[in-house]
Amino acid sequence: MPFGRPCGLRLRSKLERCIERILLIATAIAAVAIISILLLLAYFCLPLFTSGELGEVFSRRWQPFAGSYGILPMCAGSFAISLLALFLAFPGAVAICFFVHSLAPAPAAGLLKTLVHFMTGIPTVIYGFVSVFLLVPLMRDWLSAGTGFTLLTAAITLSLLILPTIVLVFQARLERIDPTLTLASAALGFTPIEQVRHVLIPASAQGLLVAAILGFGRAIGDTLISLMLAGNAAQFPVSLFVSIRTLTAHIALVLATDSQSMAYRSVFAAGLVLFLLMGMINLLIQRIGRADNEKTYEKDR
Amino acid sequence: MEKVVTNPAIVVEELCVEFSGKTVLENVSLTILPAELHVIIGPSGSGKSTLLRAINRLNEFFPNCRTSGLVRIRLDGHLVDIYARDAPPLPELRRRVAMVFQTPAVLPFSIEKNMTMPLKVTLGLRGGELRERMEWALRQVGLWDEVEARLLDEATTLSGGQQQRLCLARALALGPQVLLVDEPTASLDFRATETIEQLLVDLKDRYTIIAVSHSLSQARRLADRLWVLREGRVMQQMNRRQLQDAALFQEIIDNIF
Ligand SMILES: Nc1ncnc2c1ncn2[C@@H]1O[C@H](COP(=O)(O)OP(=O)(O)OP(=O)(O)O)[C@@H](O)[C@H]1O
Ligand SMILES: [Mg+2]
Repeated sequence: MPFGRPCGLRLRSKLERCIERILLIATAIAAVAIISILLLLAYFCLPLFTSGELGEVFSRRWQPFAGSYGILPMCAGSFAISLLALFLAFPGAVAICFFVHSLAPAPAAGLLKTLVHFMTGIPTVIYGFVSVFLLVPLMRDWLSAGTGFTLLTAAITLSLLILPTIVLVFQARLERIDPTLTLASAALGFTPIEQVRHVLIPASAQGLLVAAILGFGRAIGDTLISLMLAGNAAQFPVSLFVSIRTLTAHIALVLATDSQSMAYRSVFAAGLVLFLLMGMINLLIQRIGRADNEKTYEKDR
Repeated sequence: MEKVVTNPAIVVEELCVEFSGKTVLENVSLTILPAELHVIIGPSGSGKSTLLRAINRLNEFFPNCRTSGLVRIRLDGHLVDIYARDAPPLPELRRRVAMVFQTPAVLPFSIEKNMTMPLKVTLGLRGGELRERMEWALRQVGLWDEVEARLLDEATTLSGGQQQRLCLARALALGPQVLLVDEPTASLDFRATETIEQLLVDLKDRYTIIAVSHSLSQARRLADRLWVLREGRVMQQMNRRQLQDAALFQEIIDNIF
């Protein structure tokens, strides 16, 4: 052997220290990037706070040429579209999960899983594109909803986009539930439906919440669908059939077309709102995750 | 009352069970008589739990499992082939042929809900009847005094032995005809073991009981009929009389283990 043992050990610890250092640097870069984004946003938003324009930005009217720069309609639009998409996608996603987990025969379950995985791979723009030709005319002609570019059109499409997210997250949670739980409830004489209803749903309640929140976050963060399909009118979502604009679409639109100072600043306010919202969502999920890990019925405690 | 020995409660014939093509039970044939306590012993991995699960078709929970052979159980007076096409539906079969697992499988709910929820869901019991049944079953396993004051605590906060008895009580409460118990005293102390052993002896007139045991002395104490399993085969069957003969018992056991 060319190396004695101590030499090999020293070599290994050197390598380990090197890897450790690389990981530390990578972590530092990521942390610095996130903090600088936050600082940058805060810096650009600072004039809003100091000059008292804050009220103007968080007001109800967006009419840049008349000097109104309110982003509240966009906040409301973002919430409306995300909640609606979640409302549409969640029951289906949860049903798919339980079906795959305990009701479906193996081939059907496999097929559904493959389909959902395939859905995650479809680029967002394809969803938007297909909807423009499929859903928009349907809305326009059947429901005579104006141009067809409405809150509902975008929400339906968005629900397809977030469905796989919810399915994958909840599926992972379900799989972490100890299989002896299902075995035990089968041994008690529960039908598969009763097993789902009386054992699996209560045992996975936290997972349901996490999946819903993540789905909501994904919907809030999406830009393309609302930009392509929601009509982008800066108004409050008073019905399912009005055009609305989301915060994300607002940022994209203003950055692409406008450069007036106040309009620009409203973009940063919108960015800050989104950033804080996502931060809150993440915190919430972490907190739920911690509470969840304390429960003992999951396999990997 | 005289025992009618020609009236078997369960007949297992040439039962074979495979997991992913690996044979776990091979040509197992047994006849289980009513009002006797049947005990299965055998080395770890010999297929004892698998044999119990074959009797309430719980092996089918594992998709890689294949079962062949015949299992007939007396339900409402008739011997029913439980693997036949016209057999009772699985949930009903499992309600009548209750099983208590080797490792206690409490549901992630309170002690009370562990007892009452299955009664509500499968038997539709409500109100006072529900409470009565729960108390009766918990008393049977000697758990009532220990949990009476903490019925609303999570069942997982109970000790291993208490959980084991809770699971037994839960099975009893459902009023099965056959009781399959997989090492019911594995994690119990001396006193609780005594309670459960006595319970099994008391219950054997009312239920057909098949118990798996790891303890040779316990098997000798309890069994009216004993089967020794090794590598998926029945190596030996012994009745009460043969079990009394300590030397014979020891010799047989030494040969097999
Ligand atoms: N779900 C399963 N999938 C694959 N193999 C299994 C499964 N269940 C049991 N086996 C195998 O079948 C054999 C018998 O298992 P079983 O649990 O019946 O043994 P046992 O006699 O109860 O052992 P122990 O005394 O340790 O509980 C073992 O080799 C085990 O690996
Ligand atoms: Mg076992």
